[in-house]
Amino acid sequence: MMFDLFQNLGLGLTVAVSLHNLALCFAGCLLGTLVGVLPGIGPIATIAILLPVTFGLEPVSALIMLAGIYYGAQYGSSTTAILLSIPGETSSVVTVLDGHQMARQGRAGVALGIAAIGSFFAGTVSTLVIAALGEPLTRLALVFGPAEYFSLLVMGLIFAVVLARGSIFKAVTMILVGILLSTIGPDLTTGQLRMTFGIPWMADGIEIAVLGMGMFGIAEVFRNLEARTRGDVFHGHIGRLLPSREDLAQSAMPILRGTAVGAALGILPGNGAVLGSFASYTIEKKLAADPSRFGRGAIEGVAGPESANNAGAQTSFIPLLTLGIPPNAVMAIMVGAMTLHGIVPGPTVLTRTPELFWGLVASMWIGNLMLLIINLPLVGLWVKFLRVPYRLMFVGIVIFCCIAVYSINREPGDIIVLTALAVFGYALSKFGFEPAPMTLGFVLGRMMEENLRQALIISQGRFMTFVERPLSACLLAVAAVLLVIAFLPAIKASREKAFVESDK
Amino acid sequence: MTESDSRRPGRIIRSPQNFVAGLALIAIALFAIWAVSDLSQGSLRIIGPAMMPRWIAIFIGVAGLMFLVGGFIFDGAPLDRWHLRGPFFICTGMILFALTIKTPGFLIAGPLTIILVGYGTTEVRKFELIAFAAGMTAFCIVLFVTILDQPIPVLNIPGTHIRF
Repeated sequence: MMFDLFQNLGLGLTVAVSLHNLALCFAGCLLGTLVGVLPGIGPIATIAILLPVTFGLEPVSALIMLAGIYYGAQYGSSTTAILLSIPGETSSVVTVLDGHQMARQGRAGVALGIAAIGSFFAGTVSTLVIAALGEPLTRLALVFGPAEYFSLLVMGLIFAVVLARGSIFKAVTMILVGILLSTIGPDLTTGQLRMTFGIPWMADGIEIAVLGMGMFGIAEVFRNLEARTRGDVFHGHIGRLLPSREDLAQSAMPILRGTAVGAALGILPGNGAVLGSFASYTIEKKLAADPSRFGRGAIEGVAGPESANNAGAQTSFIPLLTLGIPPNAVMAIMVGAMTLHGIVPGPTVLTRTPELFWGLVASMWIGNLMLLIINLPLVGLWVKFLRVPYRLMFVGIVIFCCIAVYSINREPGDIIVLTALAVFGYALSKFGFEPAPMTLGFVLGRMMEENLRQALIISQGRFMTFVERPLSACLLAVAAVLLVIAFLPAIKASREKAFVESDK
Repeated sequence: MTESDSRRPGRIIRSPQNFVAGLALIAIALFAIWAVSDLSQGSLRIIGPAMMPRWIAIFIGVAGLMFLVGGFIFDGAPLDRWHLRGPFFICTGMILFALTIKTPGFLIAGPLTIILVGYGTTEVRKFELIAFAAGMTAFCIVLFVTILDQPIPVLNIPGTHIRF
């Protein structure tokens, strides 16, 4: 077993260390760090923009680069959170609390250093977790029939709802809207067009990349344009980067705990990277001998959450690669990327293309090593990127999105769809709805319809099939229990409290 | 509107945000139900093309109704202000891009869109934006067309033989 694991990782390493793949991994990590640093654009929009560019690449190379963007962004976002109190991504929101305080006390370098070390440790552990869980979960997925898959999807969506930020009811509604959007286009069995109104460029339905760019690219620009915070420039000096022995001793346990919490939450549906960092901060504060240090530059408040968000970002690949179910919006876009390259996410990734699976997993560890090396010395450079005025940056984002959307199908009509989705995304934010559950619903909706249909064909129209098959019944029972628990008053209150921590 | 405003007792609609969201969701649901009205729902044994969209739309409608009713019962957030300048210029710019990318091509579509989009902020600086448009267009052509080999028409003037 252990031997297999290392043999497989060895196979992956041979794929990942080819010059071509190393270069793409590096490019992905670099780009990820950049979008992580810049608050105006995140990994979802970036991956969507880059999809058409990866057309010409081997599937494994494309995925290596796109994955690098995601975990690279976790490194990058901590940099600006610490130095400027501007979290590049939501997953670093809690890092601001103590990280920026440390920077103000002249310990910016140590904060950056411990964030990078924690992230690297978490990345290494998560790579091993993915490698260890890959085969068993794949074997499990292979015995799943359509009924089990349908129930698994239902459970996944409920997890995503319960673990999402904000109102559960709003998240459910958004998932439904996402499923509805996914039904636009051809019906899978009869080929009849649904809700396309005879418009030719609507005939294929909405492309997931277009949805991603509209919701997380352009709509984000709309939001940012109305609330521009003056570009802050870091004036202090960064100081020594390497944490002292004392710092390391203080951070060791938080890093371990953060990695465990982040890795576990990353596997579950919902945004593990964000949730992991919040959970880790809460845990560290609870366990601390003197909780009042938190918010005043406690190094544990940086070490824990930063390890957790990187662990969560990486382990969220597990459900995607083994079960074919994306646990968060970034992975939903990755489904689009895999589909474009003719790879069906799910157990067949490992059984049919083991070199792709292991190559991707091994590249994550290499990518983490690269990030550790490129990040710290280049901190000054990253911070300079923040001086690019937003009045020009948003124009760049818009034009990149236009070019990318056009290149997917060479279809100008897709840009109209992009425009409509952007306006819709802006409207959602005005009513306090989040786009992430919608994106998840959009991708899972298609899978749900297909599996529902197949399951009912097999059972000859008997709906009871979902509760009669033991595995399927178990999954549905877990989903039901979870939903009930989430609505219990005590849990509801603590769930809300867990997220409020940072909103001060 | 301040927070205390929206919590004032005696107001009929206590959460304007949820109330309007409910209305919008109901509208989406009705629209979707109408849009699939000519398709067959099939049976449980063989699900037709309208089954999923119709039932999901019904659920959305019910959710919308709950938001609507909740808007009368629970105190909640007031309506957020919409800032229209950004969305207006950016949407117009993107639609213009869609109309001009095939003919006459990116060399025209690029700068036009960039300049229009650039006016989406009040902080716009005219000459800086023009220079940015020129530079960005050249950069995009080199990056996407020359280096990354993307299928983007650079210049395509009908009636002539100019095609890049």
